[in-house]
Amino acid sequence: MRGTVYYMKRFAGLILAAAMLCGLCGCGGAPADPDKAQESIQVIAMDTVMIFSVYGEKSTHAAYAAEDEMRRLEDLLSRTDEESQIFALNSAGGQPVTVDSEVSRLLNTSGMYSDVTGGAFDITIAPVVSAWGFTTDSYQVPARADLEELLTHVGMEHVHQSGDSVRLDQGTQIDLGGIAKGYASDRVAQIFAENNIPRATAALGGNVLAWGDRPDETPWRVGIQDPKVPDDRNTLACLLHLTDAFAVTSGGYQRYFEEDGKTYQHIIDPATGYPADSGLTSVTVVADCDRESLDGLPGAGTMCDALSTALYVMGEDEALDFWRNCGLDIDLVLVTADDRVVVTAGLADAYEAIEGSGYTYEVVS
Amino acid sequence: MKSSPKLRPCGWDALVVLLVLLLAVGCGAAVWGGNEATHDLTAVISVDGETAETVALSSLSGPEERTLTANGYTLHLVLSPEEVYMEAADCPTQDCVHTGHISRSGQSIVCLPARVIVRLEGGQKDESAPDVVIG
Repeated sequence: MRGTVYYMKRFAGLILAAAMLCGLCGCGGAPADPDKAQESIQVIAMDTVMIFSVYGEKSTHAAYAAEDEMRRLEDLLSRTDEESQIFALNSAGGQPVTVDSEVSRLLNTSGMYSDVTGGAFDITIAPVVSAWGFTTDSYQVPARADLEELLTHVGMEHVHQSGDSVRLDQGTQIDLGGIAKGYASDRVAQIFAENNIPRATAALGGNVLAWGDRPDETPWRVGIQDPKVPDDRNTLACLLHLTDAFAVTSGGYQRYFEEDGKTYQHIIDPATGYPADSGLTSVTVVADCDRESLDGLPGAGTMCDALSTALYVMGEDEALDFWRNCGLDIDLVLVTADDRVVVTAGLADAYEAIEGSGYTYEVVS
Repeated sequence: MKSSPKLRPCGWDALVVLLVLLLAVGCGAAVWGGNEATHDLTAVISVDGETAETVALSSLSGPEERTLTANGYTLHLVLSPEEVYMEAADCPTQDCVHTGHISRSGQSIVCLPARVIVRLEGGQKDESAPDVVIG
């Protein structure tokens, strides 16, 4: 009996000790796996909805730091905000304006992508886009003569840079809308890196950053919206399995209007001044997000944004030629008007066909 | 040495140990399991970046309408135990109305002109669904 009492005392002591340990750990408030802490916020900025889903001990700090950064970039790069440097440039009447080195660098980068795409990407197309009413939602089909006059001011040769001093020729205007959200995604990647974020997704309109992998350690599942069903974001043309990658989609279905039975979409071909009619309904450009090479400057996110617009303008054949010969580490998903989804070889193991979508799927090399 | 009968463990002692144990396990589960707990499917309505209302759909007994006035526009949102949709809006784009009915966690209705976002959170997660959609 004495033995039984002795063991019961010890047993009770052990249980209580374990219980106290349990309670003490609980008092710390830290989850068992800090990587599973999550913050998810939505932000309306840069004329789009952004969703940041961030994991890790510093997830809340990183998500709100990303929001602050989006606000800063919106103020800096907006074409319509009278306080922005882009507005100042567009209103300078041909006079030079000194801009932040950040703006200067983005203009240089824009010029570079204009060069490599043969002008298919062009930030000086802004007045033509405005003439169609896409920037104000007051849609109209401009007169051909008006477009021809506006096109005389389009082209990066009308942008003159000397260090941080920039001058636009009279009549030329710029809009960084085709590259700003890509740059914003580069900045978000930098914020995630600085805060040791293990995994996250950042969706900035048509720009996505898949940072790390999912909590179950499989790649993030990134859907590409079906351009045939523009009002339903949940109907997909293709699904990509991505880890540490940027993916940017451009498609005419994202903004368009109809007049006299004809559809006019918002991506304008700088060569003609008319909406691009290339046989593609969307282009997705995918590139690795290399954590080691992040420096906060325009990087792979910016590249994907600029190229997705340009390749949409080019059309299937020219876009695939570009992919084969450009020497850039990118892959593509092209959705065509004749119901094909063309995937380049680097994504052969990363794409998933959508059953019942009506598309046929091809991998090209 | 002979122990006093008062110090011998009895049924009450066992009960105390059990209670402490249950409390500790309960506290631990609440703290450790908190991040993974699935709560009811909830509509989070935000206006101009601020959460205006959070509605657990299971708490509704039938369809309810909310009138949202923001940024000069008026939106009529319908919430029901099964789904959420924008019935009408006087915004110029009508994207929010065209989005249709949403019923799964992660789906959202957005009205950019009014700066209104309605997002479904919580509920059962469909592991095969996309984590994010670009387009």
